[in-house]
Amino acid sequence: MELASKLITRPINWNKIEDSVDLDVWNRLTQNFWLPEKVPISNDIQSWGTLRPHEKKLTMHVFTGLTMLDTIQGTVGSMSLMPDSRTQHEEAVITNIAFMESVHAKSYSSVFSTLCSTADIDEAFRWSEDNPYLQKKAEIILGYYNGDDPLKRKVASTLLESFLFYSGFYLPMYWSSRAKLTNTADLIRLIIRDEAIHGYYIGYKFQLGFNESTTARQEELKAYTYDLLLELYANEVKYTADLYDEIGLTHDVKQFLHYNGNKALMNLGFEPLFPKDDCQVSPAILSALSPSSDENHDFFSGSGSSYVIGKHEATTDDDWDF
Amino acid sequence: MANQLVEIADDQGNLLGKTGVESAMSYQDLNAMINLWGEDEKLQLEKDKLAVRKYFLEHVNQNTVFFHSLKERLDYLVEHEYYEKEILDQYSFEFIKALEELAYSKKFRFEAFMGAYKFYTGYALKTFDGTRYLERFEDRVVMVALTLAAGDETVATSLVEEMISGRFQPATPTFLNCGKKQRGEFVSCFLLRIEDNMESISRGINSALQLSKRGGGVALSLSNIREYGAPIKKIEGQSSGIIPVMKLLEDSFSYANQLGARQGAGAVYLNAHHPDILRFLDTKRENADEKTRIKTLSIGVVVPDVTMELAKNNEDMYLFSPYDVEKVYGIPFGDISVTEKYNEMVDDPRIKKSKIKARELFERIAELQFESGYPYVMYEDTVNRANPIEGRINMSNLCSEILQVNTPTTYNADLSYDNIGKDISCNLGSMNIAMAMDGPDFAKTVEAAIRALTAVSDMSDIESVRSISDGNHKSHAIGLGQMNLHGYLAREHVHYGSEEALDFTNMYFYTVVYNAIKASNKIAIERKSSFHNFENSKYASGEYFEKYTDQVWAPATQKVKELFGKSNIQIPSQDDWKALKESVMKHGIYNQNLQAVPPTGSISYINNSTSSIHPIASRIEVRKEGKLGRVYYPAPFLDQENWDYYEDAYEVGPEKIIDTYAVATQHVDQGLSLTLFFKDTATTRDVNRSQIYAWRKGIKTIYYIRIRQAALEGTEVENCVSCML
Repeated sequence: MELASKLITRPINWNKIEDSVDLDVWNRLTQNFWLPEKVPISNDIQSWGTLRPHEKKLTMHVFTGLTMLDTIQGTVGSMSLMPDSRTQHEEAVITNIAFMESVHAKSYSSVFSTLCSTADIDEAFRWSEDNPYLQKKAEIILGYYNGDDPLKRKVASTLLESFLFYSGFYLPMYWSSRAKLTNTADLIRLIIRDEAIHGYYIGYKFQLGFNESTTARQEELKAYTYDLLLELYANEVKYTADLYDEIGLTHDVKQFLHYNGNKALMNLGFEPLFPKDDCQVSPAILSALSPSSDENHDFFSGSGSSYVIGKHEATTDDDWDF
Repeated sequence: MANQLVEIADDQGNLLGKTGVESAMSYQDLNAMINLWGEDEKLQLEKDKLAVRKYFLEHVNQNTVFFHSLKERLDYLVEHEYYEKEILDQYSFEFIKALEELAYSKKFRFEAFMGAYKFYTGYALKTFDGTRYLERFEDRVVMVALTLAAGDETVATSLVEEMISGRFQPATPTFLNCGKKQRGEFVSCFLLRIEDNMESISRGINSALQLSKRGGGVALSLSNIREYGAPIKKIEGQSSGIIPVMKLLEDSFSYANQLGARQGAGAVYLNAHHPDILRFLDTKRENADEKTRIKTLSIGVVVPDVTMELAKNNEDMYLFSPYDVEKVYGIPFGDISVTEKYNEMVDDPRIKKSKIKARELFERIAELQFESGYPYVMYEDTVNRANPIEGRINMSNLCSEILQVNTPTTYNADLSYDNIGKDISCNLGSMNIAMAMDGPDFAKTVEAAIRALTAVSDMSDIESVRSISDGNHKSHAIGLGQMNLHGYLAREHVHYGSEEALDFTNMYFYTVVYNAIKASNKIAIERKSSFHNFENSKYASGEYFEKYTDQVWAPATQKVKELFGKSNIQIPSQDDWKALKESVMKHGIYNQNLQAVPPTGSISYINNSTSSIHPIASRIEVRKEGKLGRVYYPAPFLDQENWDYYEDAYEVGPEKIIDTYAVATQHVDQGLSLTLFFKDTATTRDVNRSQIYAWRKGIKTIYYIRIRQAALEGTEVENCVSCML
């Protein structure tokens, strides 16, 4: 069937949904569409000025690291999942995911250009090219994307979406819980909102394939997943220490990594790896992560991360019957 | 460290907590824990109390400057130019000392971490380097009372009583600034007209900068400005319309903030029949071009009845060139009743016009409300029908609760004033409904509030914007608001929006309006002075009072009879109203406007209230503000047992909110900030239906539209209270 669909070109029919999750996710993603211009980052300029030099540097490095991941995900990662799609609707969803990843990558640049000088930006990008752990991270993930096993690609992608991003996401959440860079945090929360869905969706598609596999193959995939997670984790710990030691947050970020590592495994349908005691994420960070848009804000503070593209429906004569 | 047990107790020595983990946690973490279910699946409200305690122990107490005596403290603060000497000099030291003792004797405690945090980060006087506190809550209350009482000891004492008990809370600019030597203005809110000429536009921008710098939100009416492509000096196609003006204003507001205390904020209003209306709305589009996109400026649409009628009949609606309208009628477009002149203008060939589908305009409005929460809506004809003052209301303000008449200003060629018109300012303060119902003397509370607000108006003189200061001197307009309706109802086991809740809201506001007018009448008698042009108002003619003297207003339900029965509140009778009417017609009232119900953000947290008369946004509210970061606020009086009475605004739905506001609106001379809440399953049609329903029920303005999107199943954070729907 897979083969046939590749040979005969079929127009996509959204009135015939094979997997309702495709439609749910498509609706959600399109409803969540946003562009970085939505968020008034310039309101953070004053707050940025209150950060100490090493805090600024840390923030820029973290964001450059995130840009790197989104670049991979937007240009290689999501695209590499395309040929493995089970349905045409999945292909459509993946195009949306890929596009939003590029929006994310661009968002960090708009944060930079609003808050930092060109010299600082150039330094941060140079740093990203020279940082061994960041490069290693990219290398590992790219290696698997270029491999020839579709399910393994999905594992790599889910780990990236649900796990690797979070060493970086920690910092803006931390700042916002300390009343710093709160608009930037809004923007990051929009990204988290998207990534949460991406990780969930790709993990879901993985589980479909996984459940159809033989026991031996399942064992292989499972072992592979844990191996890959541990490989990434080993590198991630060093990356985290490299970034956060100076500010003294390494321990907290690691707890956060454990929490999200388990979450990634959950998305893939596997048991958690890290014991609960090692996942003691600070409540301020955990609460800030909530992807529901129930946040309240006032007009003095910025746009928040709560608005969505609405569904248009014309009124009828009955509605106007007064 | 994690195993070390530390006992944390409150002031009375009650043990609040005793675990090693918690003692190691920061107050931010403790506060965030109320948003997470505890191990026993119960709310962890006590964690918030711990957070307050810890905040004081670890932060406030350690960073508060210590003085040996009040005398030493006041001398220091005056000498170092923290306090205004003139304020203190109006009283004897003994009196101030007694007032401080009175304030401290009430044992005020912050109920929620949010309140304490907000007070200390946003309101308390700090050393100039911003590192240490020079005031506690009680000190702030005393200083505000001393300032507003202007030397009157009785007034000062009653204000301390009302504020420390939480029955009355002045708005942020007043509460923040009173008594401080280095400060912004006491007034919250300004409304400016802009006329169709460059002098007025540039004056508008200048005024926006000046007012924003001084501490308020500024709204401007753009309805009079000629449209895109209109002629300039008779040459066609020259005007750039209103969008570039909006851009200039937006940049002005970001530049001028209020001593860094909060960001400058502004709103612009436009009549629905202005030819630039669609362009105006599209500035809020998600994918708008950067050149036209408006991010931080709020927008509002003025909707006349005729627009609703045209939409009802599914007709086209005509948009009229303000340039031509002003030429034909000799008065600015904004001062014309479009409903009244609609057909006349349609038939007049001298007025250039274009047309759009009326229903499509409403659909467009709803689409944008989904994307951005904007625009606000003001139902122009409803507003003007309910206006007791001579003149026309053509705009509202940043929170859509101020509704007052204005007149244009004209300029000479050298930009000096030719004729100074009347622009609007309004200072606000809100009563806490629950505390007021519990209070010993309701009439006294309302009177103290009216006097406090009147004092702010008397003390305000915005010299840099003459139209504002002249308007204020003439009108003495104030806006008494209300908050904590939902908190009160839930505490009394009444569901928001139920028959009993509507009955209560109606009777409460009915009682407020009586006492407010009575207090203003009392001030007019004392000062032998009324607001300017009182004689042509519906107060002077007595017409305003007809609805109260001609019919009986009384509680309809047993529950509400009981609620008022156990309070110390006198519900005014027809005879009371007749007497008041007579006194007002004879002596006047001092304030042109008396009530306006603001959305109450910050002050409701300090006051431990639910916002305004809205339902709560969430049982545990997640709040983001520039200065605060993310803080969690449990609904006032919430506990495990009364949980069901705290239905949030999305569960309550728009209809019940509109019903609640409708019964309150009939007793409020200005407006009430009304936000509507929708789940993300709603469509633009649902929003439109609510707008139609609101208009039918006599709602004057609609503030934000909020949409709540639930997290996709499988992506939510475990154990998160606010994720639970």
